Formats: sequence, structure tokens, C-alpha cells
Amino acid sequence: MRLTVTDVTKAFGGTRVLRGASLTVEEGDLAAVLGPSGCGKTTLLRIVAGFESLDSGSVAIGEREVAGLPPERRKVGIVPQEAALFPHLSVARNVGFGLPRGSAERVEECLELVGLAGFGDRMPHQISGGQQQRVALARALAPHPGVVLLDEPFNALDRSLRVSVRDEVRAALKRAGATAVLVTHDQEEALSMADTVAVMREGRIVQEGTPASVYAAPCDLGVATFVGEAVVLAATSDHGVASCLLGDLPQRADGVAGKGRVALRPEQFVLRAPGEGVGGLVERVEFFGHDAAITVALEPGTVIRARTRGDVPHRPGDRVGVTVEGPVLFFPE
Amino acid sequence: MSLRRLVAAALVPLALLASACGGAGGDGQSFDDNSLVIYSGRNKNLVGPLIDKLRTATGLDVQVRYGDSAELAAQILEEGADTRADVFFSQDAGALGALSKHQMLAPAPQELLDRVAARYRSSEGTWVGVSGRSRVIVYDPRTVVAPPKSVFELTDPKWKDKVGWSPTNASFQSFVTALRVVAGEDKARQWLEAMKANGAKSYPNNVEILNAVDDGKLQLGLINHYYWYEKVAENGPNGVPSRLAYLPGGDPGALVNVAGVGMLKGTEHGEAAKKAMDYLLGADAQKYFADTTKEYPLIAGVPTAPGLPPFDSLKGPEVDLSKLDSLEQTITMLQDVGLV
Amino acid sequence: MSVRRIPAGLLTPAAVTAALALLPVGYLVVRSAEGGLDAVARTLLRARTLELALRSLGLAAVVTVLCVAVGISLAWLVIRSDLPGRRVFGILAALPLAVPSYVAAYTWVAAVDLEGFAGSVLVLTLCSYPYVYLPVAAALSRMDPATEEVALSLGRGRAGVVLRQLRPSAAAGALLVAMYVLAEFGAVAIMRFDVFTTQIYTSYRAGFNRTPAAVLGLLLVLITLLIVVTESRSRGRASYAMRGNPARRPPVIRLRAGTRALALAWSTALAGLAVGFPLAGIGYWLLNGSSARVDLGELSGAVGATLGVAAAGALLTTALAVPVGIIAARYRGRTATFLEQSTYVGHSLPGIVMALSFVFFAVRYVPAVYQRSPLLVVAYAVLFMPAAVGAVRASVLQSPPVLEEVARSLGRTPLQTVRAVTLPLALPGVLAGAALVFLTAMKELPATLLLRPTGMETLATQLWAETGSGAYAAAAPYAALLMLLAAVPGFILGRRSLKETS
Ligand SMILES: Nc1ncnc2c1ncn2[C@@H]1O[C@H](COP(=O)(O)OP(=O)(O)OP(=O)(O)O)[C@@H](O)[C@H]1O
Ligand SMILES: [Fe+2]
Ligand SMILES: [Mg+2]
Repeated sequence: MRLTVTDVTKAFGGTRVLRGASLTVEEGDLAAVLGPSGCGKTTLLRIVAGFESLDSGSVAIGEREVAGLPPERRKVGIVPQEAALFPHLSVARNVGFGLPRGSAERVEECLELVGLAGFGDRMPHQISGGQQQRVALARALAPHPGVVLLDEPFNALDRSLRVSVRDEVRAALKRAGATAVLVTHDQEEALSMADTVAVMREGRIVQEGTPASVYAAPCDLGVATFVGEAVVLAATSDHGVASCLLGDLPQRADGVAGKGRVALRPEQFVLRAPGEGVGGLVERVEFFGHDAAITVALEPGTVIRARTRGDVPHRPGDRVGVTVEGPVLFFPE
Repeated sequence: MSLRRLVAAALVPLALLASACGGAGGDGQSFDDNSLVIYSGRNKNLVGPLIDKLRTATGLDVQVRYGDSAELAAQILEEGADTRADVFFSQDAGALGALSKHQMLAPAPQELLDRVAARYRSSEGTWVGVSGRSRVIVYDPRTVVAPPKSVFELTDPKWKDKVGWSPTNASFQSFVTALRVVAGEDKARQWLEAMKANGAKSYPNNVEILNAVDDGKLQLGLINHYYWYEKVAENGPNGVPSRLAYLPGGDPGALVNVAGVGMLKGTEHGEAAKKAMDYLLGADAQKYFADTTKEYPLIAGVPTAPGLPPFDSLKGPEVDLSKLDSLEQTITMLQDVGLV
Repeated sequence: MSVRRIPAGLLTPAAVTAALALLPVGYLVVRSAEGGLDAVARTLLRARTLELALRSLGLAAVVTVLCVAVGISLAWLVIRSDLPGRRVFGILAALPLAVPSYVAAYTWVAAVDLEGFAGSVLVLTLCSYPYVYLPVAAALSRMDPATEEVALSLGRGRAGVVLRQLRPSAAAGALLVAMYVLAEFGAVAIMRFDVFTTQIYTSYRAGFNRTPAAVLGLLLVLITLLIVVTESRSRGRASYAMRGNPARRPPVIRLRAGTRALALAWSTALAGLAVGFPLAGIGYWLLNGSSARVDLGELSGAVGATLGVAAAGALLTTALAVPVGIIAARYRGRTATFLEQSTYVGHSLPGIVMALSFVFFAVRYVPAVYQRSPLLVVAYAVLFMPAAVGAVRASVLQSPPVLEEVARSLGRTPLQTVRAVTLPLALPGVLAGAALVFLTAMKELPATLLLRPTGMETLATQLWAETGSGAYAAAAPYAALLMLLAAVPGFILGRRSLKETS
């Protein structure tokens, strides 16, 4: 079902944690809420789930306003950070916890959905962390909730496991056709998994959109630097052209003329032979296999990090020339 | 544990209450409205066998509730008119006096009162003493050659830190009342203060004082005589090094206290209560006190146990043992001196 | 956790518990008021009142500090060091709970020339350090080794972090000790050390005047509340910080040979003084007296009665403590604080005050239960509630609240959540609390004397009767049996403190 959060505020004592947060997740979509630590992501989820009351605003699941309802009447599934399986119940009874008695079939179906058919008789401590997380998802999905909320569900997992569990969780959510909100402060996770991304800052959702649109057209410099890497340089804009120490660069959108900053994505930098573009000295080469990151100290006195293909010809100490490809993001002062 | 069971358990008091109202006693020891209930401040070991004799002799169905005399008196006072006690058998006169003052006791039959000398019963006729016990000085013959002949000698520096007493104990307090009567308020107070200054040590009860003397921690102690005999019975004559000094006539330290009985006003078993009191004041019971608890029988014609000084040689001071107002003054004095 | 409304299904039984626990205060107010302002003022303003209050507080402070030191040192040695025989010491460490303090005091006075303040401190410390040992041992074995490693890596000592983490559990135990000492009468009387409760007993025993006793009782309640509030302030949010079960067991620390010998001596001495010594004392009674006789009928009757009322007491206390304990662990705000703190009142009052208040109310309002075991059982519940509430609270705190939230989101109401999640997870701790109450109730004397059904004798009242007539040899079997029976739950508690390690 569609989730609509409108202008929610919440203060703990004197601290205003949510300052008018609004968020819409269409039915069947997986939305990632992305934001720095302490910005209010967990609080927002807890308000949607009904564990916290809101000071003002509204929360609707489908057509139903749920703000006044206790958690047990909201039909919201949650997958907490650490699986939080009931340690005294078997996997099957964990999954069946929200179901009426005698729903063995649905339990098995949900276990299958997360790829754990046949694990029902195990106890939670007898399965791995990633499996526990998937059981937690199956448990949340079992009663056909209107919305599933996942609060940094992969934090407790180590990196390699994270990626695979992430994919499995996404697949399961899609198979179930669930509307889901995933909280994370890992932008890679948000961009790779979600149908839409909502960027949260200081108690507000400052931008919502598809991962590509938020990456390509961040609403402000903060979002630009938070969602994806960016090199930020002082610049002056005039008639859609931003002038900075890397030259006069075409802007993505026409804007107000005057002083400001440009944000350059690492993949926009092109390393060329010395003499072309702005000269610089390669400081560091990080090799990732499929691609590489090269740190270059520009002669005018700024350090940039460029993303290139994996087969890097450069070594630290090499002199290079740097040019910029494609339109840039300009943010007036 | 299921929640329903939990809530049920929380309501257990009410449930039990309801079942109790139904009248079925689930205690194993069901409360029988027809039995005579005696609240006994006297120890079960000491009077239990006597109560058995009473049952046999009178055919009464008797239930006894043992406790501390003063606590039982407080309990009866809290129970008020609804008290479960028919008879109160007290270790000392003070507790009986307290009940009498609160109008809790019914007058005892004159015929019973008359069996006992006037000084050993209530002047209002609400209770009567059944056995006498003398205040004595217990001493350690290993260190004390000549025990004192009067409590007034105890303030001598010679006994500094060597004397034990029990200011919270009822018999001791009766003794202080006697002291006030004999010596006057001022001298009594001075004596208490001098004793305190002389390092008299406070103990919770007579038994502890006696043990301390036997262990050589004290040289002298102010106690009731029969505790010594009890201990000899338990440990054998060789197990009790201490000896008793009965003070000569008129000394407040020779006061004779009584244990006594009174009948509760609200009792529905008045006849049975009188029968029980009659038994306790009869030759049988009096002989039991003399022989078994080594106390002094209070009715004429029952001899004192061998080895005890004769009763009429104990010329303790004459005080109304149950005058509670007088007891209160004693306690105020003890409080002022800082002893209780 | 935020201030959430407490569901009625928890609030109602908790309110019943609080009302029961506060009953004695109602009685004290009635009796104080009866004497008039004059009498109240006279009692309060006496120099001796202040002196005795200070003595009581001093005794409570010293015993509490010592219990904390002994409890923590022993718990650390048992749980974290390679002390030889540490499992045995772990069980022995809980057994002093089985020793009635008056028996211990008596044996000490008889055997050594020790009395007054020092004697009281010794006996009370030896009898009550398990109240600190048990929660601290449990906390130690749950402690996440990571924090310790961090401290070590930062060049700090281990002790600092460990102690800081032990603070909530040690404080909870210390609170029980302090209140236990404030309400204690028997042992200090035998030690000839006059304290506040002496004054209360004296008022009843000597004065037959209930007003001063009531006024002093109220004062004691106030002092206790002050301590309870101070403790809860100092506890602050710390104890609410949830600690899950750490993935790793804390490492066992190897003692150096010299330290090891010292530690062994210390643990042995404690066990010997706290458990061995009173046992030897009872043996001495048996051999030295001539009253030795065993009436099997009386003995088995007393055993049956003791087990019956103590078990019923443990059950009722636990049942009443569960809602309050859950509220204390999971809810904030004035109501929650009030409910938890009110349960401490009964524990701080001497048994006689408690008992008389139950006499007062039962005779007037529920005469049908008066002098029947249900009333005694309810009195036990009021007397021993704090230990049970503490056990419930601690064990509920051990499981993460997120489990309860998950249950709610899966459609369970707050009460269904308590039943399906909170209680099953807390059950072992709750049962340990019940064992503690069971054991304490078996030893109870003053309230038992006043409230038991006429004719019923427990081991404690029999022991009182026999020693009261100087028949120590006859008392010995009762004392021995009482300690033996109480040692069973004591053993279970001790073993549990070890088990959590695995
Ligand atoms: N119960 C509470 N009482 C007081 N302050 C709170 C409470 N819960 C959260 N806060 C504060 O509200 C702010 C937002 O907290 P929240 O947990 O929602 O952040 P978050 O975005 O989830 O952070 P993270 O990414 O670190 O999980 C923080 O400053 C936090 O300290
Ligand atoms: Fe006596
Ligand atoms: Mg968070």
C-alpha cells in the first residue's frame, strides 16, 4: 500500500528531531531514506510503526490515517537492525508469530520467499547472521503488512555478506510486492537497492526521487556531496557557464548568475597527457579491479579524486593534464 | 507463565479471601470457634506441658498462640473488641496492666482473686498472678568473692564495666518502678545515671546476661531467678559456673514479679476461661510451676522447690505491678537517662 | 524509550501491589495521628531518636560498603579469575542467605568476645553480602569483553570500566542490603547495639504505647524512601541501557601465584565465617546441651508449615512483582517510579510493625483471613517484594526492547506481548527472584509469630521458642533443618550465578 507521511514533527524534550518530514512511497516501491547519523531516520520509522507518537503531521497507509493507532493495529512490518528474532522460538514460530494459529503453509511460503525453505525447525542461534536477517524479513512479510520498514538491516553483517543479503532482501520484497522503506546511511546501498531515494537532513526530507535523478540533479550542495562523491570548487556563473580553476564549464541547468560553487563528480574528470587542461601531479592510485580512483594535486592548489577505468596507465609522481567532461552542477551562494 | 495465570496469581489474596469467607479452613489447623484461645507470652517449652495437663484435667478444647508478652498485648490492642483471645497468659504484670487500662480485660471471679495475695494481682480485679519470680543478682564466683547485698552497691567503682542489665526487659522495668517507690524519684534517677556512668552493659534479655556472666564477660547481672535454674537444667550443674545472690528484705533488687492471667472482655467462652484460670491457680498447676519452672507458687499450701530460698524470706518492696501509669513514668525516666 | 502509557493490564495489578505495600504506612499514619501532634513531636525531638537514627544509618552505610566490596571481589574471583575451585566458591557465596542472622549473631557472641558496632557489622555483612554477590556475578558474566579491551588499549586499567559497568547491579544489591540492615532487629539486639529498630521494639515492648512506635516507623519509611530515591537518581538512565548477550565470553584472568593464594584464603575465609561458623555453632548447641530431643511429629509439622507458607509467599510475591518489575524496566515517568519505589516500603519496616499493621487491617476489614495462612502469605509478599521486583526488572532489562516492538508490529497487544515475549525471556531471572523470596520467607520470624494461624509452628518460630527457654540443644535440629532447607534455593541461586557464564 502507499505510504504517505506528511509534515511530521517530533521533539524529545527540547530537541526537535523531526521538523516537518514528508515522504511518499508508492505501492510496491522500495524507498531508501538516506541521511547522516542523528538526522532522525530511526525516529521517522518508529513514528510510522507507532512506537513513538508524533507531535504534529500525519501518517497514512493506503487511505487509512494511522497516527493515532497502536502499533499492533497498523499492519506495519519491521525488520530491525539486528535481526531480533525471538530467541525462545524456532524459526518457523518466529515467522508465524504474526499469523493466526495453523498458518504453517504461509510460514513455509514466506521461508521460501527468502530462500530458507526447510529451516523452520532450527532455533535462531543455529542459523547464520544473514539467514537471521532473512528470517526477520520473512517474519515481517508473513502477515501481508501494508508497509515494511527496515532500519539499517544489514549493519550487523560483514561486507561480503551484506551485498548478497541485500540482493536477496530486495528480491524477496519485490516477489512479495511489498511497499518498503529502508533506512540507511550507506549511499551505495540506497542508490543500488531502492526504487526511490529520500534524502533526510536535520529532521526533514530535503529531496525525493529516483536514485539517478537525485544523483544527477541534487537540490543543493549538501545533497550533492552526501549522495555520491563530489569535488567542490569556488566558481562564478554567467549565462549557463561556470568558471572555476578547471576552466569554463557548461552548467547542467541555467541558473542565477553570480558567485557560487560547482560540484564535480569523480567520473567527470578525464586524465590526459601533461599540457592538456590543467596540470597536476598524481599522488595516489587506488585500484578496485573494475575501476580505479586517482588522486591528483592540481597545480593551482586543489586536490581532486577522479574515477577511471581499471586499466590505469598512471603511477604516483606522474604529471598529468586534467579536463572535465559533461555539464556540471552550479550552486549559487 | 501465561498472562491469565499471572493475573490470577495477582488476585490470589482476593481468591483466598473469598474461599476463607466460605468458611473452609485451608490451614490444616482449622480455626475452631468452639475452642478456648489462650495467647501465651510464656514460652511453649515452659508451659506447653502444663497446657496439656490443663486440657486433660478440664476437658477443655484449648488452642494456644505463643509469642512475646508485650507483642501479644500489642496484638490484642490492635485486634480490639474483635480479639481472638479468650485468655491472656502473660510473662509479666505490665502487659496485663496495659490491657486492663485499655478496658480489654473482664473482671476475674473474686474466688480466684482471693487465692493470691493482694500484691500479686490487679487492684481492679482484672487479672491475677499465677507464679512468682524474684529479681536476683547473678554473679561469677570465679571473680566475685562477696556478691553485693543491695543494688545500691552496684554503683561502686569496684563494679565498673562489670555489671549487665536489660533496660528494655519488662521485669527490669518493674524493678525500676520498685526502685522509684522505695527510694523516691530523685534517688532512682540518680541510681540509673550512676549505673550508666559506671559502665553497666545493656543486654536484650535475661538469658544473654546470664550467658555473659557464665562466659566471664560480666561479673554481675540483674536477672530473674528462674533463668538460672533453666540453664542448669539444660547444661547440668557443672555447665553453669555462675551463682545467684538473693538480696535481703526490702531491697528493690529483691522485687517479686509475677506471671499472670486475665480474661478478655469480649470472650464468648467466659465459663471455659474461668475454668482455665481456676486450673492455673489450682494445686496441680502451682506444683508444676514450683517443680518444673522453678518459680514460686502463689497459692497457699504449695511448697517451693527445694534449693530455693523460701517465698516469705523474699521481702521485696511492695508495688502495684500493673499500675501502667507508674510503668509509663518508669519508661519516661529510662528514656530521659538514655537507656531505652 | 519514551514515556508511553502503561497498559491497564499491567497498571491494575501493579497498583494492587503498591497498595498492599503501602498498607503499613496507612496503619502508621492512623496510629501516629491518634497520639496527637504533641506525642509526635515529643518522639521526634528526643535526642535519642536522632542518635539512634544516625547509628542505624551509620551501620547501614558501613555494612553496605563492606557488602559491596566483598560481593564484588568474590564475584570477580568466581566469574573472571582462575581461582581454584571457583565453581564451589560460587555456590558457597550464595549460601549465607540460608543463615538466619539471629543464629549467626548468637554463635558469634557465644564464641568470641565481639559485640556492639563491630559485631553487628561483622554478622550483618556476612549474612547479607550475597545480595550484592548474586546480581554482580550475573552482570560480570554478561559483560561485553569489548569495552574492557578498549579501556586496555587506551592505556587505562581494566578495573575502571568493569566497575562502572557493574554499578547498576551493585547498586541494586546495595539497596537491598541497606534496607535489610535498617529493618534488622534480632542480630543487632544480640550484639547489644541499639539502633532505630530497637527503639521501635522498645516502644511496643515496654511502653505499650503505639504512637511513638508508629512515629518512628514513619520516620524509618521516610529514611528508606530517601535512600531509594537517591539510588534511583544515581542509577539514572544507566541501568536502562540494554546489554544483549555478548557474542564472546569474557576471558578468564590468570592470577599470579601469590595473588592466587591470597584470593583462595579470602574466599575460604568468607565461606568459613559466613556458613561454616554458624553451622559449627549449631553443632556446639547440640553437643553442649541436655535438652536435645527430636520430636519427629513437631519437626515434620514445622517443616511442612515452613515450606508451605514460604512457597506460597514466594509465588504470591513473584506474581505481584511481575507487573511492577516489567513497568520498572520498560516504562518511564512518575507513575512507573512511584509504583516501583512504593514496593520498597514494606521491606524497610521491622517485622513487628508490618505484622501489627496487618493485624489492624485484617481484623477490621477482612476478619475471615485473620490468623490464617493467606494473611501471612500476603505479609511475606509485602516484606519481600523489593527482591522480587528487582529480579524481575533486571531480567526484563536483559532482553532487548526491540523484541517487544517487533511483537507489537506483528499484531500483539501490549499484554499479549508481555505473555508471548517479555515473560518467557525473563523467566529464569524471575524464578531466581522467587527462590530468593522463598529462602528469605523461610527464616522470617516477627511477622510469622503475630500472623500465623494459632497453633501453627514454622521452623523459625520453633527455633525462637526453644532458644527462648534456653534449650539450645533442642533448638539445634530446627536451626540445622532451617539452614539445610534454605540452602536448597541458595544452592540454586549460587549455581545460576555461574551458569550464566556458559
Ligand atoms: N528517545 C529519545 N529521547 C531523546 N532524544 C532522542 C531519542 N531518540 C532519538 N533522539 C535524538 O534524536 C535525534 C535523531 O535520532 P535518530 O535515532 O532518529 O537518528 P538516526 O537518523 O536514526 O541516526 P543513526 O543513523 O545514527 O541511526 C538524535 O539526535 C537522537 O539523539
Ligand atoms: Fe522472664
Ligand atoms: Mg537510526
